[in-house]
Amino acid sequence: MRRAIVTTTATAAGVVLLLSLKPHGSASAAGAPVISSGSGSSSGTAASTGGQPNGTASSPATGSSSGSAGSTGSTAPTAGSSGSSASGAKSGTFTGQAADTRYGPVQVQLVVSGGKISNVNVLQYPNESQRDININSYALPTLNQEVLSQQNAQIDMVSGATYTSNGYLQSLQSALDSAGIK
Amino acid sequence: MATATQQRGTQARRAHASRPGGGALPVDTVARAALAAIAFGALIVIGIWWKNTLGIVGTDQWLTNAGRITGLLAGYAAPVLLLLMARIPLLEREIGSDRLARWHAMGGRYMVGLVTAHVLSVIWGYSMTDHTNVVGEGVTMVLTFPDMVKAAIGTVLLFATGIFSARAARRKLSYDTWYYLHLATYLAIALGFEHQLTNGADLGSGIGRLFWYALYVGTAGVLGWFRLLRPYLQDRRHQLRVAEVRPEGAGTVSLFLTGRYLDELGAEAGQFFRLQFLAPGLRFAANPYSLSAPPTAEYLRFTIKDLGGHSAAVAHLKPGTKVRAEGPYGAFTARRRRSRQVLLLAAGVGITPLRALFETLPARPGELTLLYRASREEDVLFHRELVAIAQSRGARLQFLVGPRSEVGDPLEPSTLNRLVPGLARHDVFLCGPDPMMESAVAALTAAGVPRRNIHHESFSF
Amino acid sequence: MGTVFSFAVRDPSPAVDEALREAVARLHAIDALFSPYREESELSRVARGELALADADPELAEVLERCREVETETDGWFTACPGGRLDPSGWVKGWAVNEACALLCRAGSTEHCVNGGGDIQSVGGPWRIGIADPARPRKLAAVLAGRDLVVATSGTAERGAHVVNPHSGEAATDLLSLTLVTNGPGRLARTDAWATAVFAMGPERGLAWAERQPDLEALAILPDGTRLATNGFLRFAG
Repeated sequence: MRRAIVTTTATAAGVVLLLSLKPHGSASAAGAPVISSGSGSSSGTAASTGGQPNGTASSPATGSSSGSAGSTGSTAPTAGSSGSSASGAKSGTFTGQAADTRYGPVQVQLVVSGGKISNVNVLQYPNESQRDININSYALPTLNQEVLSQQNAQIDMVSGATYTSNGYLQSLQSALDSAGIK
Repeated sequence: MATATQQRGTQARRAHASRPGGGALPVDTVARAALAAIAFGALIVIGIWWKNTLGIVGTDQWLTNAGRITGLLAGYAAPVLLLLMARIPLLEREIGSDRLARWHAMGGRYMVGLVTAHVLSVIWGYSMTDHTNVVGEGVTMVLTFPDMVKAAIGTVLLFATGIFSARAARRKLSYDTWYYLHLATYLAIALGFEHQLTNGADLGSGIGRLFWYALYVGTAGVLGWFRLLRPYLQDRRHQLRVAEVRPEGAGTVSLFLTGRYLDELGAEAGQFFRLQFLAPGLRFAANPYSLSAPPTAEYLRFTIKDLGGHSAAVAHLKPGTKVRAEGPYGAFTARRRRSRQVLLLAAGVGITPLRALFETLPARPGELTLLYRASREEDVLFHRELVAIAQSRGARLQFLVGPRSEVGDPLEPSTLNRLVPGLARHDVFLCGPDPMMESAVAALTAAGVPRRNIHHESFSF
Repeated sequence: MGTVFSFAVRDPSPAVDEALREAVARLHAIDALFSPYREESELSRVARGELALADADPELAEVLERCREVETETDGWFTACPGGRLDPSGWVKGWAVNEACALLCRAGSTEHCVNGGGDIQSVGGPWRIGIADPARPRKLAAVLAGRDLVVATSGTAERGAHVVNPHSGEAATDLLSLTLVTNGPGRLARTDAWATAVFAMGPERGLAWAERQPDLEALAILPDGTRLATNGFLRFAG
């Protein structure tokens, strides 16, 4: 019995220790930074991509009617660019920091050769299991409802791949149009 | 010397290993290496989690990640536990079946704990993320997530076998019943396997996934070979049959098995086989029995005491009955020995493997002693044979028969020192009922025998 | 052109109402000229060789000239002849929207937004524009906000794999949808054409190309649901 208690405690302590060693981020994590390409700007650094860039991720709290930047510090991009230096043709494999999106961490790895991205590996993205799909569908219905009911409409227009007439009728745009958004 | 001509075959092959400390590995090397390998694997598993986890934000993620860690460890523990019981000859020989079984039992309890922690923390964590209650979340997960119904069934099976393997339950169940119930763990592990790959955040791709496949497929291969294919092939090759059933008195019989190419089995004195008799009522049970004599090219000898059930039926086996023998198993062999002087300490039916060692353990005249403790004269086995061996080898033989009041307590340090001069310089091989062996170990260490020179094997696993 | 145009005007007035009617007429005219789906359009006739380019409406030649410019800018990934057929729709759609906006601006409107088949030019603002999730109808993948916002999306979601990789001749399928975002009046035509090209380039090359253009941001959605974007994309996020 004593051994059982010792092992249980030791295991629990070990798990807590492991968990505490990881970064615990902050709200700016949501919908975070994005890939930069090999050449030009912040060459060869890769940050990672958010599963759901801000707006929708935070949207359930659509209290405010003024359309601008809802909840996240979206003006602070690229927390992830792992500042690897020089512009110009850099080669190698660059693994971005995580974006801690609400639905799980996302990490992207770029393989750069001669200043061009030759390969992109998504190391982790949230859409892997039923769970994330469930979570995604949790986030959006609020928005849809509001659009259709004409209250607190947040979106003015919807951009999407070519709308055929049929497609348009299925689309959100038509809902907006028929709701007579200003 | 005791090496009769028939035995030269087996002895010659092992001559290099029989010198004290020579040839065979230092004691416990393999055991330590195995534990180190297991620990190393666990570190790799944790490393997989570490590599895939970039940050933990919020209480729900703390919980979910705790669930991932415990899940990974549990999923790693399963094949490890199976491998411990896969009857891999190297492990059986060097670590010993009893120790492997003990590790397996401890590991099994730990794994059940890990699975419990995993299930609870994952459900709780997810329910926090999804803003639902725990029960609803659990139901959703089981019913809608891929492979989760199977995993849930597997978990229930695992808990059930855990309950049936608890000591309290085992006392009430016969070995055979318990054994068959325990087979359900294979099913539990198989059912739980897929959900690890489909839902495991760390096993979706990359190294983690490869490692998992390698681990499970490798384990399945090892099990298939050592527990199914190899015994079957051995069976066909050796074609073991009952040759003779000889009463030894006191409700004990010696069972002589014969077959082909027996020396290929590589059995050593002190080892045991798991025997399965193709006779009515005995067909499905494979029970462990020790060799009571060193194996020869013609026969294997086992001495079995009637303790009810399977062992009672052995006495009635007809010559010619086919036997399936798995083995040899056991680390209770001359390889363990480190000193020139050796004491064999037997109590009750523990004399069985010790008789074999008494006959062949390499020793010069005067270096080998057998102390045989029995409560009554009629309980003494192999009386004439032991005397004959002692005489031809120049080994010392002492029967300690009778109640304690007459003989004194042979398991007292002072008694032992008196009976065996220079006791502290001896290697001691012990065999007997468990409580007796515990006190014997205590007495021997008190008398100055280093713990690592005391060798015993428990047969009640 | 086989697509639907939506107008949102925040500062209506009689003049603007009139301009709206003119814009609709203008769109029909453009359609009559440029639609590859109408046999009698001048484009179709030129494509069949029945009409010489020099004899056709000068706007046709102008449009083809713009297409050549975009082709150069995009290293050949945009072409007016996808799959061998003459079809400058990649330019025409966005350009049609710009033409409509021009009419509205001339009538004095400074706050309007026109959506042509999913490609949007806005004037004034800030306007909030959503990007449709190509995998789930009626759901959004992102929300953008800004003044004079220009959003052009190219994708497979509706018409199937209709964007062709000009280098291989095969349908481009590495992406589910690709959205380019910028701001400024009159920029949709070029942005829309670019979007077609970038979509054909695929995620890595396309994003790298977009990264190199000043003031242009891109969001790519892959078939498995992954989102990738250029570095500065978030400055448009709303």
